Amino acid sequence: MSSTNPVISVSNIGVCFSRFRLPFVGGRRHYWALTDVSFDVYPGETVGVIGRNASGKTTLLKVLAGIIAPDRGDIRRAEINISLLSLQVGFIPHLPGRENAILSSILLGLTKQEALARLPAIIEFSELEDFIDEPISVYSAGMRARLGFSVAYYAAPEVLLIDESLAVGDQDFRVKSAAAIREIITSNHTVILVSHDLDTIRQLCDRVVWIEKGETVAVDVPEKVIPDYQHHERQRGISTSRD
Amino acid sequence: MKRRTLDIILYRTYAELKSEAQRTYIGVLWWILEPVVFMLIFYFIFGVLFQRGTEDFVPFLLIGLALWHWFQATVMQCSGAISANRGLIQQVYVPNYVFPTVVVLANGAKFVVVLVILFVFLYLWGITPTWHWLESFLVLVSALCLTVGIAYLFAAITPLLPDMKLLLQNGLRGLFFLSGIFFDLSRIPEPYAGWLRWNPVATVVDDLRNVLMREQTPAWDSLLAIGGGSLVLIFLSLTLMRHNESRYAKSTL
Repeated sequence: MSSTNPVISVSNIGVCFSRFRLPFVGGRRHYWALTDVSFDVYPGETVGVIGRNASGKTTLLKVLAGIIAPDRGDIRRAEINISLLSLQVGFIPHLPGRENAILSSILLGLTKQEALARLPAIIEFSELEDFIDEPISVYSAGMRARLGFSVAYYAAPEVLLIDESLAVGDQDFRVKSAAAIREIITSNHTVILVSHDLDTIRQLCDRVVWIEKGETVAVDVPEKVIPDYQHHERQRGISTSRD
Repeated sequence: MKRRTLDIILYRTYAELKSEAQRTYIGVLWWILEPVVFMLIFYFIFGVLFQRGTEDFVPFLLIGLALWHWFQATVMQCSGAISANRGLIQQVYVPNYVFPTVVVLANGAKFVVVLVILFVFLYLWGITPTWHWLESFLVLVSALCLTVGIAYLFAAITPLLPDMKLLLQNGLRGLFFLSGIFFDLSRIPEPYAGWLRWNPVATVVDDLRNVLMREQTPAWDSLLAIGGGSLVLIFLSLTLMRHNESRYAKSTL
């Protein structure tokens, strides 16, 4: 049954960052951001990733997005578009909003034809109106964020990787963009969500991956993983406060 | 190549040319003015001040400078192309050869403008077009392969070895003087002249002058060797870029 094949399958992956130095000057420096991570993601599910700062969450998303290849272990990705929800990708300052929206959509995985078809919806959602034909160098930060979000929303890939909350813009647009992200997450999209907000994870995710120092500690439903994680963090809090 | 990759290359080339044109008041006119000013400076120094010119010194100089200016700009910009897009390659996967390819296309478009001006100038100067002018197309194809080969090579290695950029800057400065752009290589005594003939840039520059000014056929064997060797270099550099994609994304240099 093909419907039960995972869209992403990682087994025992490790990622090493090394900085080359000349011999006798500093040697080679290694840092393993991920050491041993394994889990599968199935079509349509929402998987949360939790873990302390510097536990390797962002590096993990980059591996899943195909931006960096693991230095050991194995990753299998289905032949579909898997990418990070990222805003203002490839924006060029002196180019009008319209062309930037097309360029950014293509970079996020659409063909030019698809990008042109979705352009009216992107412009409408961004609320930029006549400003769409002005170069984005004249935009305020909020306007640029709105355009960036609209593109990311309408170019959303089959498998969406989200790093923390991405609600942007002024108060009204924040509400609108947060609602749009929730809509994607609760729809049929496959989503992998990194967040420090355990309530969000509990509400939105079918399963949770807990990583610690680059290793998977647990992969299970939120009801099981989150209490363990909270317990572990409390223990750590006690032991560090004793120091 | 996937449809989307082709779309990225073409749309991005268009976007960069447009954005460059919009950054200044006279925009597109700079594509003509910049090489013209560059050429005027050299003409003034070597043609007027030093009185080096034989009667055809001006077309001789302009052909060399046009080709050199294009070669140098393409190689230099390609060497920084992947680093310049570091933010982008950490957000979304794009085959990395896209970035130098956009540079090659954008510079190519500007070079075509310069070539048109050059041909018009040569005609106005009084050089009668001959059938040899058609051969300039093949000389330019060979020059294109050479430019792309060297540009891709530095595009592939500079992100990992940033020191290469400084090396390249100085290397290009040296190459400029060794390529016979503003003097005739045949004036150099042996054995040095023989050594300089191994410089492929000098060869294509000389061949372009042969077909445009001297009613001569280019040296086919050396052009073919340059074209073929460059294609191998292009292939190797593309392989190197593909192999190192993950390293470019991880690099913090």
